[in-house]
Amino acid sequence: MSCSPFDLRDYLLDELAEKERRQVNQHVRSCGGCHEELERLRITHTTLLALREEEVPQRIGFVSDKVFEPSPARRVWQAFWGSSAKLGFASAAMLSAALVFFTFFRQAPASAVPADTSRIEAQVAARVGAAVEKAVAESETRQAGKTAALLAAAEQRFEGQRQADRLDMLNVEQRLAVLQKRYNVRENMVARYEPPEEMK
Amino acid sequence: MIFRAVEDPDLIRKARRGDVEAYNLLISRWEKRVYNYLLRIVGDREDALDLSQDVFLKAYQNLRKLDDPARFAPWLFRIAHNEAFSSFRKKRPEGETVPQSGFAGDDIPANVSPAFPIELSIAVTTALGKLQADQREAVILKIYQGFKFEEMAEILSCPVSTVKSRLYTALDVLKTQLAPAKSRGVT
Repeated sequence: MSCSPFDLRDYLLDELAEKERRQVNQHVRSCGGCHEELERLRITHTTLLALREEEVPQRIGFVSDKVFEPSPARRVWQAFWGSSAKLGFASAAMLSAALVFFTFFRQAPASAVPADTSRIEAQVAARVGAAVEKAVAESETRQAGKTAALLAAAEQRFEGQRQADRLDMLNVEQRLAVLQKRYNVRENMVARYEPPEEMK
Repeated sequence: MIFRAVEDPDLIRKARRGDVEAYNLLISRWEKRVYNYLLRIVGDREDALDLSQDVFLKAYQNLRKLDDPARFAPWLFRIAHNEAFSSFRKKRPEGETVPQSGFAGDDIPANVSPAFPIELSIAVTTALGKLQADQREAVILKIYQGFKFEEMAEILSCPVSTVKSRLYTALDVLKTQLAPAKSRGVT
């Protein structure tokens, strides 16, 4: 087990920063165990490199066959679609051409009024008039209905009030009649009254 | 330092436009690496050559899909990886996907004159043969092909942490095989 400040395998594979490498170097000089461990890793690495690469037994290559090669037009097409810069330039050019074309060749808006405009206008006016009349009639009908309903409700309310007032009047008359009768009775009693002898 | 008149991305751009010669030049730069990678994966020279041809054909057909020509190497090796494992699936019975042995070099040809002693090559071959297939592939990509961890993750379609784990486990196994610890006397 290594006690090195950094992994010795990282050191071996040159995966450490310079500062870290220096720390490992310093540690390995003073630590026998880590020194031996690093030596073993170096031997392993060197021994692995003893297995040399072999030459390819047969060269790999492709033959340029006209049959399989894209046609010049197709190459241009592929090159065009393969390049975003070209595609962007072409789009900008097309847009510019369209702007120029419409600036110079656009037809002026037609000034002459078509012959049947007046007929169309008359038809439109007639339709609009009919629609307005219909709408006005419907509105009036609705308003009349609402007015009648309001009047009926008010009349009913006034009739109720009148009935109540009449009942009140009757009550007052009845009470007045009762009072009158009481008064008459009292008058009669006063008229018939004769004081006793001792009071005379 | 090697100065190349035409860089790989330029060749890729030309090949995309249908320039077969440019693509052949690109192949000549990569065929040895791809062949040796496949040879060490599949363990058979003939298969490795056939697969290499398939890899370069597939790469040519899909060259337009390569977004960044500077990432050609991991992209090419991703195709090679897929081709190798696709061939395993075709050849092996169902359930057995990846060979655990049969590593390339088991039959070192007599006409090859190795730069190192033959015993050393055999020892390395035997040690690599003891690894699991995914560990072995990690060693091949890092030690022999020199890819960065990020590129390996791209080729193998797995996280960098997985790649590192596979490689470091493999290194520990190889270290035990190729550089055994010195025996210390018991006092």
